[in-house]
Amino acid sequence: MNVEAEMEEQIRKLNTEYGFNLSEDEIKLIVQQAEETERLLRPLNELDLIDVMPILKVEKKKVKK
Amino acid sequence: MKPIDIEAMTIGAVYRHIRGKKLSPVELTDLFLQRIKKLNPVLNAYVTVTEERARADAKRAEKEISRGRYRGPLHGIPFSIKDNLVTEGIRTTAGSKVLAEWVPEHDATVVERLRKAGAIILGKTNMHEWASGGTTINPYYGTTRNPWDLNRVPGGSSGGSASAVAASLCLGSIGTDNAGSVRNPASFCGTVGLKATYGRVSRFGDVPGTGGFSSDHFGIFSKSISDCAMTLQTIAGHDPRDPLSSEHPVAHFSRHIAKSVKGLKFGVLRGYFEDKVATEVTTAIDEAARLLHSLGMKRVEFSIPHMDLIPAVQTVTSRVENVVHLMPHMKSRPNDFSRPLLHRLIGSLMIPASTYVTAQRVRRVICEEFEKAFDKLDVIVTPTTPITAPTIDECKEGFVEVDGKKIALQPAGVSLGTTFTVPFNVTGLPAVSLCCGFSSSGLPIGLQIVGGNFEESRVFQVAHAYEQAARWFEKRPESPKNGGSVKTS
Repeated sequence: MNVEAEMEEQIRKLNTEYGFNLSEDEIKLIVQQAEETERLLRPLNELDLIDVMPILKVEKKKVKK
Repeated sequence: MKPIDIEAMTIGAVYRHIRGKKLSPVELTDLFLQRIKKLNPVLNAYVTVTEERARADAKRAEKEISRGRYRGPLHGIPFSIKDNLVTEGIRTTAGSKVLAEWVPEHDATVVERLRKAGAIILGKTNMHEWASGGTTINPYYGTTRNPWDLNRVPGGSSGGSASAVAASLCLGSIGTDNAGSVRNPASFCGTVGLKATYGRVSRFGDVPGTGGFSSDHFGIFSKSISDCAMTLQTIAGHDPRDPLSSEHPVAHFSRHIAKSVKGLKFGVLRGYFEDKVATEVTTAIDEAARLLHSLGMKRVEFSIPHMDLIPAVQTVTSRVENVVHLMPHMKSRPNDFSRPLLHRLIGSLMIPASTYVTAQRVRRVICEEFEKAFDKLDVIVTPTTPITAPTIDECKEGFVEVDGKKIALQPAGVSLGTTFTVPFNVTGLPAVSLCCGFSSSGLPIGLQIVGGNFEESRVFQVAHAYEQAARWFEKRPESPKNGGSVKTS
């Protein structure tokens, strides 16, 4: 299954589970927006992040002297 | 005492009169309530006005002061609060239909601290639905207007707060800033707008679902940098009820505010969306940089290697952290969300968990790059927003004309209006917006000054020096009925 079809399936599942009553046009629009977001986020995976810990709280301990 | 010019009034100008019992908090509160009655039907800055309670609080303040129990510079000063900060006994909607009737039983910590300092809360201000946008065109509570031009938006999501301060419907306001929601409307409305370092101000009492827990900040709107410093002094500091608030000691923000800036270094960021900035904004920022240089500051150009990843990091972080709070409402009351917001929230549910973790790793890389930059800089200056306030119609169409080109206001990722503010939500660095000039059509332009971690005092020092030298605060919007042309006092 391609990415677009996978997204559409996921949205249909959410639509049923949450009772959004989405129209076919709305489903298409959300798929399109999700694809745009996916394209925006893709470069995040291109960075070498070996040994980089995630920030799960913005630590503010270091203060410039 | 001279007759009161409410439009010229600042906290700094009136608190001494209140302290000296030459100005009555009751009279002052009445003055603002009358002005709200007159102008709010046009501006729609407030969604709730707490007239009775404000008068009762003002009477108490007056009584205390007359008995010599003066609490400090905010005693008797009229404030407003964005409608996503909980307020005990006052309806708190978060700009949503879901919470249209919700009356919380406690105050947010910042509201509690303002009340303790004797401030008078005049009411709650309008905002974008669930703080999820930058226009304050709200489908349930109406559109808030920009006092400089009623056909334009005030920005958002804290648009009501910015409009209220700019139109002198209060002397200060508290908003929230997840992607620029204080600084963007401050820029569009020509007020001061600050978000301090992440953790500097408690976020206990924000309505869940109106910002990411690691990117959202409470912030301040005021008419001057010195008013902003006084307000931050009151609301800053550790709060055991907010585990993400910092225990870092609170500085005395006003102490060094008037110190010379000679020899300090300001950084000008290069290589980040420079092509999206309107020519008039670029010109105003260049002028501001020249003025800072003339005050003895040194200009340093710099770049951040992974700046281009900031929109992606912000998008993942705030959307994922935010949607988890809204899922129960989405399930129980999907029809009580506007459809465009519901579509976006459904899209947020589709961002994989692994992408969220990757974004937080990239975020560390970016934070370290900024820390390194601050080893050689005292502050960074950028435009706050690349454009001036768009019209309500442009926002509805989704496009704005910049230098003859049509540009999307809401492309994938961050919106155009938050391009320069989101980096400091991702990094948590303190940032203030203040007016640095006006466009040819008389709209305010915002200058953003950013400091290192917990360097709010430095931010205030540079911003105050600029403000006093440039004196843009002397320009004020005309009475809104005239459509907002500029008058000089």
